[in-house]
Amino acid sequence: MKVYESEVPGVGQKYELELTGDKRLVVVLHHDGRCELFRRDGPDADGQKILDLNGEQANTLGSILEGAFFETVDTQSLSVPLGEDIIEWIDIPDDSPVAGSTLEGCDIRNRTGASVIAVQRGDETVSNPGPDFELAGGDILVAVGTRQEHATLTDVVRGED
Amino acid sequence: MAKTLLLEVGVMFAALAIVGLAASRLGLSSIPFYILSGIALNEFVAGRVLSLSVSNSTFVSVGAELGIVFLLFFLGIEFNLERLLADRRRIGTAGLIDFGVNFGVGFGLGWVLFGSLLPALLAAGVVYISSSAIITKTLLDLGWIANPESGPLLGTLVFEDLVIAVYLAVVSALVAGGSDLATAAQSVGIALGFIVLLLALVAVGSPVFERLLDTNVAEYLVVRAVGVTVLVAGVALAVGVSEAVAAFFVGMAFSATSHVQDLERELTGLRDVFAGVFFFWIGLVTDPFLFPDVALLVLAAVAVTTPAKLVSGFYGGRAYGLSDRRSLRVGLAMVTRGEFSLIIATLALTGAGSTLPAGTADTIYAATVGYVLVMSLLGTTLMQFSGAFENLLPGETPALRDGS
Repeated sequence: MKVYESEVPGVGQKYELELTGDKRLVVVLHHDGRCELFRRDGPDADGQKILDLNGEQANTLGSILEGAFFETVDTQSLSVPLGEDIIEWIDIPDDSPVAGSTLEGCDIRNRTGASVIAVQRGDETVSNPGPDFELAGGDILVAVGTRQEHATLTDVVRGED
Repeated sequence: MAKTLLLEVGVMFAALAIVGLAASRLGLSSIPFYILSGIALNEFVAGRVLSLSVSNSTFVSVGAELGIVFLLFFLGIEFNLERLLADRRRIGTAGLIDFGVNFGVGFGLGWVLFGSLLPALLAAGVVYISSSAIITKTLLDLGWIANPESGPLLGTLVFEDLVIAVYLAVVSALVAGGSDLATAAQSVGIALGFIVLLLALVAVGSPVFERLLDTNVAEYLVVRAVGVTVLVAGVALAVGVSEAVAAFFVGMAFSATSHVQDLERELTGLRDVFAGVFFFWIGLVTDPFLFPDVALLVLAAVAVTTPAKLVSGFYGGRAYGLSDRRSLRVGLAMVTRGEFSLIIATLALTGAGSTLPAGTADTIYAATVGYVLVMSLLGTTLMQFSGAFENLLPGETPALRDGS
């Protein structure tokens, strides 16, 4: 597919995309981020304006078209190959009741059902932390469990259980 | 004194805002409206009726000067030599047709009317240069930007911009220089030497400008860019060469830096404000009671130069391999004259009484203002109603049944 690019002095850039048949899509990108889309149905047809977007709308549309758009992760549709279980990352707040206690001390496995498989502290990751590993505020727990177990774990860490 | 001056400047900006609103409501270019607001508030009109008027104060005239500087600076910033060279065959063909026909017609008209070289050269420039600003804006408004006719139009405008930079350098030297051939040749030599100097500045200065403009603070970027541009333009004017051309080359040097998009974004508002002051000032020093004297002149110019642009634009479009219908649109669009014709008119005023007879200078000035008022409105109107003209072409199927 050919894309013709040309400069529009004082305005911005113009791109022409060849579509199926003789159709063409014309994109005019303004310096200020504004973006106009035109459709031309044949070599001798005049452009029909399809859209006139501001910079933010143009960026959003672009990322949707690229398949790179995400705003919120819908965990309901996440699939990880662990059967019922999923892996989640949970931040430990500074005022968390588990901060300062060992893994054995806060008894996460029995209270929640989730297993802590690693702890991230700053730049380093401690994998398979032992029962005497002491948690601190600012740590990130990497845990395996079902959605329900994760919900319970989050409550425990936040002191909301 | 300063109290009333601030009030006058306030009246000027308020008038620009009001007529700008009217222009956008009517879907017309704001330039003729700015000029008319200047005429309405000047000593010849408001001064006679209300005995109150906006005076041609230092602020307004220097502001107008800055308007010229920023207009040409932007021309330089947007000027893309690579693009011109990459498409040189088509742009060159369309541009040369445009130059040959319109500069020729303008020169002939000037020669017939004034019978000497300098006025003829000024008339040639006024007639030749179409309005980049108005045409580009109308292209966007009508959606023609998405059509093939935008190619030859933008290409020809780029070609015109380059020609007008050289033209302004030479003609402003002639206007400022002496009347006999030797002094004229000397001042043209100085002007061309200055251009070479500026070109060297563009070639070696870009890395320097790159560092100079390297800031994340918009305030510093604007202040530094304005500092360099206005200083270079001021030096140029002080040594007797065209400040507009100097600004053009500073813009060109800036366009080679990585800050070009930031500059365009941050300085556009400044350019628009001072360009508004320039158009207002044009009206401010125009005595509309001189219009009846130049009305025939303006009519003759309109009658001769409208078909000239139509023809040259049409063949420029054909040089790009466009259909007759689209080639005609190129011709219709190119009819629009504007800001650069006015800059040439102010050039004529600077030569009044020295290289040009005062009467001739005033006539050229008043006629150009009238001419631009007509052509800026006529050109945009022709573009808006291009469909009607396209149907007149032989072999075109009418878009509307006309009952025949």
